[in-house]
Amino acid sequence: MKKTLNRTFLIIGVLLLAAPLFMGPYAQSVARSVLMYLMLAISWNMLVSSGQLSFGIAGFFGLGGYASTLAIVYLGMPPILSLVFAFILVGAAAWLLGLVALRLRGMYFAISTLALAEIFRVIIHNWHGFTGGPNGKLLPKLIFDGASVPTYLLMAVLAAGTIAFSMWFRRSKFHFAVTSIRDNEIAAMSTGINIYKTLLMVFAVTSAVQGLVGASFANMYGFVTPESSFNMNYTLLPLAMTLLGGLYTTWGPVLGAVLLGIVGEYLKLYIPYGHLIVYGIIIVLVILFMPNGIVGLSGKLLNGFEARKKGEVQL
Amino acid sequence: MSILQTKKLTIKFGGLTAVNEVDFSLESGHIVGIIGPNGAGKTTFINLIAGLHTPTSGSVFLDGEDITAMKPHKRARIGIGRTFQLIHPLENLSLVENVMNGFLFAQDFSVPKARKAAVLLCEELGLSRLERPTSQMNILEIKKMELAKALAVNPKILFLDEMMAGLNSDESLEMISLVQKVTRSKNLAVGVVEHVMGVIKQLTHSVVVLDGGEVIAQGKYEDVVKNERVQSAYLGGGA
Ligand SMILES: Nc1ncnc2c1ncn2[C@@H]1O[C@H](COP(=O)(O)OP(=O)(O)OP(=O)(O)O)[C@@H](O)[C@H]1O
Ligand SMILES: [Mg+2]
Repeated sequence: MKKTLNRTFLIIGVLLLAAPLFMGPYAQSVARSVLMYLMLAISWNMLVSSGQLSFGIAGFFGLGGYASTLAIVYLGMPPILSLVFAFILVGAAAWLLGLVALRLRGMYFAISTLALAEIFRVIIHNWHGFTGGPNGKLLPKLIFDGASVPTYLLMAVLAAGTIAFSMWFRRSKFHFAVTSIRDNEIAAMSTGINIYKTLLMVFAVTSAVQGLVGASFANMYGFVTPESSFNMNYTLLPLAMTLLGGLYTTWGPVLGAVLLGIVGEYLKLYIPYGHLIVYGIIIVLVILFMPNGIVGLSGKLLNGFEARKKGEVQL
Repeated sequence: MSILQTKKLTIKFGGLTAVNEVDFSLESGHIVGIIGPNGAGKTTFINLIAGLHTPTSGSVFLDGEDITAMKPHKRARIGIGRTFQLIHPLENLSLVENVMNGFLFAQDFSVPKARKAAVLLCEELGLSRLERPTSQMNILEIKKMELAKALAVNPKILFLDEMMAGLNSDESLEMISLVQKVTRSKNLAVGVVEHVMGVIKQLTHSVVVLDGGEVIAQGKYEDVVKNERVQSAYLGGGA
C-alpha cells in the first residue's frame, strides 16, 4: 500500500515538473506560491516532529530574502548563487541562535523564535544605510529576467528537493531521534541520543530551507521590505497547511499546501483578506476534529482496510 | 576488579540529602540488590550514575575513568544501561523501533543493521509482533521492552529500577530468569532495585541497603536481613 502511495506521489511530482506546458502564467504564479508554502510547511513539520514549535518561519524567510538581495545589490552575486548564500547564511544564523534558544522548551522556545523573527525585522527596519530601512531594497532584475517557465521550474526543483529531503529524514536516524525527543527526552538520552546536537542540526537545516524560500521569493518579485518580507503570513500559513494535511509526515504538508494554497488564492479574489479568516477556521476545526490531519485520517482508513483484509480485529 | 565505582557520592536537593556519601561498586557477572524503604534514595542513586543529576560532591568511575561530569547520552554510549521505575515507552515508535534506538545511537549502527539487531534481541527476550505500537502491549511485554532498550546500548553495567513492579509471580519468575540469563551471557554488572524481598533473595549475589540516602548495611542477603539497623529501618517499617 505504502509503495503504491509513493508511486502515486512520484507521478504527481513528474506532472508538477511538466505543469508549465499546460498552465498559463497566472496558474504558474499560483503554483509557484503553492510550492513555496509547501517548502515552508515541510521544513516546519520536520522541526515540530521533535516537539519543538517554531514561530520563527517568517523571520528566517525574511532574513533569507534580505541576505540574497543584499548580496546581489552590494556584491553583484549571481541570483542562483545568492540563493545558496541565503541558505548557508540563514542556516548559520539559526545554528548560532539555536545554541541559546534550544536550551528552552515548550512555550519558552516557541516565544523565543517569535521574538527572534521580530528582532530581525526591527534591526533591518532601522539599519537604513545597509538595508534601505522601511523602504526596503529593489533588485536590479528578476531571476531569469522574470521568465515564468524557468522560474516555475526552479521552484519545482527546490520543492522536489525539499520533499526528497523530508522523505529521507523520515527514514533516517533523525526520524528515531526526533520522535524519541518528542516522546520523552529522558528516555531518549538514556539510549544515547544527543538531544541538543540533534535539535541544533534540525533547527539549522530547516531554518536554512526557510531562508532559501525567502530568497527565492525576493528574486521572483524583485524587492524586499521589512513589512512584506517578515509578514506573519509566512509563519501562520505553513502552520495551518501542516495541521490540515497532517503533522509528522512528508505528504501532510504537501497536501495541506496544495489545498489551502489554491483555496486561498480563489478566496483572495472574492474577499480581500477573507482567506485569512478561512485559514483560522480551518485550523480550529482541524485541531478539534482531525488532530492527525488528512494524512492521519486516510492512514487510519487504510490501516483499517488492510487489517480487515488480513482478518485482524479492529479496536 | 569492580567495573563501576562511586566514591562518597552525594546529592542534596535543597535541604534534603537524597544520597549521602555512598561508596558502591559493581563487578561484571554479578547482580547487586539495592534495597531500602520508600524515599531511601535508590532511584536518585541510579540517576546519578546515569548522569541525570549532577552530584553535589563525590565521583563516579567506570573502568577506572572518572565520568562524574559526563553527559547522560555519552554514558549510554560507554555502556551504562538502565530501566526506569516510571516506564517510559516511546509511544510514537513501534516496539522494535523503541529497541532500535540504543543500537542506532549508543552503538552507531545503520538503520537496517539496527533493525536486524533489535529483532534478534527482541526474540531473545521472547517479544513478538514487533511492529506493534507500544499502546497494544501488556505490562510484561512493556517491561521486557524496557529491558531490551537498556540492553540495546550494549551495556557493561545495567541498572533495573523496580522491573518486577506490576508483574504477577509467574511473570516475575520469567523476568528473573531473563535477567539471570542476560547477566551471564553478556557478562553484565547489574544493580537491581526491588521492593519484593523474594526477588532480591533469588536474583542477587549481594545486597546494599540504603536509608535516608546512606548505606546502612551491605553483604549477603541472608546476613543483611539479620542486621538490626536494616530490620528497624526497612523490614520493621512495614514489610
Ligand atoms: N529531582 C528531585 N528534586 C527534589 N527532591 C527529589 C528529587 N528526586 C528525588 N527527590 C527526593 O529524594 C528522596 C529520594 O527519592 P528516590 O526517588 O531516590 O527514592 P527511592 O528510594 O527510589 O524511593 P521509592 O522506593 O519510592 O522509589 C525523596 O525524598 C525524594 O522526594
Ligand atoms: Mg525509586
